[in-house]
Amino acid sequence: MSDMTKALNDTLSVKRTIRHFDFSEPYWEGTKNKKLVLQRCKVTKKFQHFPRPVSIFTGRRRDIEWAEVSGKGNVYSYTVTERGTPAFRGMEPYAVVSVTLDVGVNFIADIVNCTMEELKVGMAVKPYWHPLDDGTHLLMFQPDKDAK
Amino acid sequence: MALRDHAIVAYAETKVMEKSDRDVFVLIGEMLESVLDSTGVEKNEIDGLVVAGMTGTGAGNIFWPQTIADVLGLQVGFCEQVNIGGCSATGCVVRAAAAIEYGLCEIAFLSFSDTHVLEDKTDHSHTYRREWTDPYGVMGPPGAFGLLSRAYESKYGLDYRMLGKLAVTQRNHAIMNEHACEKLRVPITIDDYLNSRVIADPIRLLDCVMRTDGGAGLLMMSRKKAKEKGLTKNIIPIGYAELTNYLGGENLVDVTKSGHSICGEKALKQAGLGNKDIKSFHPYDDFIIAIMLQMEAFGFCKAGQGIPYIRETNFDYNGDLPLNTGGGQISAGQAAGSSENLVEAIQQLRCEAGERQIKDTTNALVTGIGWINYGRNWGSSAALVLTPE
Repeated sequence: MSDMTKALNDTLSVKRTIRHFDFSEPYWEGTKNKKLVLQRCKVTKKFQHFPRPVSIFTGRRRDIEWAEVSGKGNVYSYTVTERGTPAFRGMEPYAVVSVTLDVGVNFIADIVNCTMEELKVGMAVKPYWHPLDDGTHLLMFQPDKDAK
Repeated sequence: MALRDHAIVAYAETKVMEKSDRDVFVLIGEMLESVLDSTGVEKNEIDGLVVAGMTGTGAGNIFWPQTIADVLGLQVGFCEQVNIGGCSATGCVVRAAAAIEYGLCEIAFLSFSDTHVLEDKTDHSHTYRREWTDPYGVMGPPGAFGLLSRAYESKYGLDYRMLGKLAVTQRNHAIMNEHACEKLRVPITIDDYLNSRVIADPIRLLDCVMRTDGGAGLLMMSRKKAKEKGLTKNIIPIGYAELTNYLGGENLVDVTKSGHSICGEKALKQAGLGNKDIKSFHPYDDFIIAIMLQMEAFGFCKAGQGIPYIRETNFDYNGDLPLNTGGGQISAGQAAGSSENLVEAIQQLRCEAGERQIKDTTNALVTGIGWINYGRNWGSSAALVLTPE
């Protein structure tokens, strides 16, 4: 088990350059204005994440639409990284969370403004938008203390 | 004809190495030489080549199986690379059988050798990783299994001492396996497991497989042909199923469940066996918890009951259900294109496992796990039931 008294790092100082797939661009465009825009299937009305070239429910490209969502959700699972990837070396310990968003998709991201003691499965979280050099923002999560 | 009309007539393996001292082509050549010598088959009789796709060294070469045919001087009517990650080795067996059955070839050489420590050309860049996990510093497979383990713990509870018991059992087996990586052939205790360095909490160092180099190979032909050639120590595949992208058409999935729940049942049914009939279990082990999840998926215990099941079961080579009797990949080393546990099962069923020989060699169940997909358990699941002729 990780040492509960240790502070979690927020990894904000890590340099990130992200190569986008062309079919993900509407997502990244949305982040420029700190909007979370996810893919939804026109036929089943279900959301999917990560972005795909087709609806994973119908297999059709024409069934994809994009919709803005709140980004609020609850922690489905988390892991505290004690041995980071090369770009994140020296930032340990940092937490990676899988969040079930209120629209029914899991989103894996880093969590900020959170201590090891606070971090729990089921915890309510909301978006934290971290600016990147290309004008987009990287979605992270932070505890949502106002959530019911 | 059916799957069970085909036979694995020979196996070969090198010692698992921290880093290979010779080129991968040398390992592949040594495996060919070994299966030819042990069967008396002539090189020019081999007309099928099936290569495990889980190769770091071959990863950059889109002509990898043809390159191997060329290097070995084989003229083949069936030249195949099987790309289902850690399911590749078991997948090679059934594809070789299918090719023989369809008349594409009569005698197939299956090649699993890899030197991914010495030379790794693996490239994950054209996948979800570049946008959806690399920017968050997700630590590859340990990160994914950290998320999986925490989800399991939250749903069912998790006594890590029992996962440690599996680690210790496999380590004891590796110590008895002279082909296991020498670095790993030192005893460990449950406390050593619990106290090993945390990588991606709750995944510890002794949960993880260590990448190593090594070679392995098999020779397959129809049972009829094996009989004609007077080959007697044959191992027969009697049940197989695989599943890739379990629940891929759904978005929210329970990460504690995998495709093994489906392909396990299918493979056992084809074999005409129930899970209680299985005499030894050789599950793909990239992380210790994957072994427990497979015990649940194959119905050795109910979902969520893996820990009590481990507590009351002896998995030693001479115990209730012998488990990865060569040490598994975690204690023998992850080498040879996912074939470690398959080759061990074949060796056991031929009663050639020396001091760790299992008593009941009626059958063995070997599995595969391949790839990590986004926010799920694992990408491919495979199950292969073997029995001696």
